[in-house]
Amino acid sequence: MPIMNNVYRQRAAEKPLVTLDDYRAAGGYTALPKALADVEPDDLQYVFMRSGLRGRGGAGFPMGKKASFLPKDSKKAKYVVCNADESEPGTFKDRDIMAFNPFQLLEGITLAGYAIGAERGYIYIRGEYEHQARVLDDAVRQARAAGLLGEGILKSTLNFDITVYRGAGAYICGEETALLESLEGKRGQPRLKPPFPAVAGLYQSPTLINNVETLAALPPIVENGADWYAALGPEKSPGSKVFSISGHVMRPGNYEIVLGETTLRELIFVHAGGLRPGRRVKAVWVGGSSVPVLGEGHLDTPLDYESIQAAGSALGSGGCIVMDDSGCIVRASLRLATFYRHESCGKCSPCREGTTWLEKLLMRMIAGEARMEDLEMMETLFGRISGKTLCPLAEGAVAPIKSALNMFRDDFVRVVENGSPRPEPMMAGA
Amino acid sequence: MTADEIRAYLEPRRHEFADPRSLVMPALKYAQTTRGHLSREDLDAVAEATGFTPSFVESVASFYDRLYTQPVGNRVVSVCITLSCMLRGSDEVWDHLCEKEGIDHHHGGTSADGRITIQEAQCLGYCDKAPCIQVDADETLGPFTPDSAAALVDELRAAPDPEEYWR
Ligand SMILES: Cc1cc2nc3c(=O)[nH]c(=O)nc-3n(C[C@H](O)[C@H](O)[C@H](O)COP(=O)(O)O)c2cc1C
Ligand code: SF4
Ligand code: FES
Repeated sequence: MPIMNNVYRQRAAEKPLVTLDDYRAAGGYTALPKALADVEPDDLQYVFMRSGLRGRGGAGFPMGKKASFLPKDSKKAKYVVCNADESEPGTFKDRDIMAFNPFQLLEGITLAGYAIGAERGYIYIRGEYEHQARVLDDAVRQARAAGLLGEGILKSTLNFDITVYRGAGAYICGEETALLESLEGKRGQPRLKPPFPAVAGLYQSPTLINNVETLAALPPIVENGADWYAALGPEKSPGSKVFSISGHVMRPGNYEIVLGETTLRELIFVHAGGLRPGRRVKAVWVGGSSVPVLGEGHLDTPLDYESIQAAGSALGSGGCIVMDDSGCIVRASLRLATFYRHESCGKCSPCREGTTWLEKLLMRMIAGEARMEDLEMMETLFGRISGKTLCPLAEGAVAPIKSALNMFRDDFVRVVENGSPRPEPMMAGA
Repeated sequence: MTADEIRAYLEPRRHEFADPRSLVMPALKYAQTTRGHLSREDLDAVAEATGFTPSFVESVASFYDRLYTQPVGNRVVSVCITLSCMLRGSDEVWDHLCEKEGIDHHHGGTSADGRITIQEAQCLGYCDKAPCIQVDADETLGPFTPDSAAALVDELRAAPDPEEYWR
């Protein structure tokens, strides 16, 4: 396996790398000294760019390119913000990177800070990850004591420190501008863009925001070179990615794969141990819940940004939820509608009311109280929500439900006619 | 909690933020650790310690699920009910716990003895341990069956309360 990235470094050591010594013994903190000694900040940005690393938080935007958007001549302070809000249903990869390999994340954030000329980084971590937040707090203390954070890092002129900031339970705070509002001590409601965070982010200062997995990929890239990373996987989707897989599979968990080399079928049936005997795949939400659903016919799709897009969905966060043919697609859609209704921040009425209506319609259907016209009403509703809101949360609510209605219309019709009793779940030990 | 206690907690953190408003959330989370929820006095103390108005502080607190402006039980049990957990039996766990504690199935709530609050949670990021449960902000546990979840609640009821309520 040519990867010494993200969680693999932890696997190689076969224990969590939560002490600085253990991280160093596993090859950690070689990238930062190398960069400080030999690489100018602008050249480091160029390394990020040439690696082809794309954002792992959902949108897949090229990381180096985003870093290059920060103004070079600004007199304002600059910031790196690490998005550790990880609340996308089905996604739990950042959790393990932080719990098992916290220093790789700190080293990555420090490299990003050096590249853009920032003096402080923030890790905005969801409040429910208090355990991981404490691991990070402890790692920050160790790194400071060893001169790897603070003033004059490794006797260079670099001053950089990291603050771990806890959220308090709100999915919307994963959206980058809502995150910034929350980090500024306000209600976590998205801002109008532009201006983009690269220009006016935290405290109106230029800010680079990246996901945990994105930033944790930087040390191996600096260590082994941009070409090494770019050579992994397909040209437009290079590198490795951690997929979180859950639902009706035998071995749910985090699996790191080289993009483009593994199909969805292999992820489910080889890595995750397949389904219960006699079951078939019914539906897969491959990139978290905010993406169009895929079906059994898509299982041979290679896992990379372009291929998944061509199949009609999106790689998103890599949170892959699998439902077998014991599940009901209408019930699953309702559960997602409830999620988005609950998490809508309420700022735009198409989102606030649209998600409430979606939930109501789907509830009526599973209760057997709906009429056929409700299916058309739902379709009209998609049009009233899509493209009419401030942030993409609402689009994330529409995508999985609209695609489910298209792909599994017969199931919806059947449920409208007969309702849908709660199926037997797959229980622990089954 | 008093404004002085909150100030003492914030002091070493103050230099980390260019704008003191960023201290409001850490202050709220800390103020919640004595009672397990934010009373009127707690909100006023946060306002005094951070220098923002009580109404601003309250508007922030009301936005976040894990800041409680109403009293809750000694232990808060969050049952994840989002898709991956549903597929693995979270509804069965939820129903069983609500029944056992005599709590409304639709909204959750607090047991009659005031010890246990059962609430629905959205994806806790432990879908590989589905169906999973988080007690306060302790590390999330799973997978549960209805019976093992009931046993967890019994254990919580018997155990001494934590010294600080991090939720
Ligand atoms: C509703 C919503 C929730 C989001 N949640 C997260 C999240 O939990 N973690 C994350 O990294 N990005 C999340 N994002 C994406 C961020 O807005 C942003 O694109 C990302 O942090 C950029 O980092 P990246 O380029 O490294 O992916 C979310 C976006 C939306 C619209
Ligand atoms: S789309 Fe929804 S979550 Fe996003 S800003 Fe509007 S109301 Fe809030
Ligand atoms: S769906 Fe329950 S933890 Fe993710």
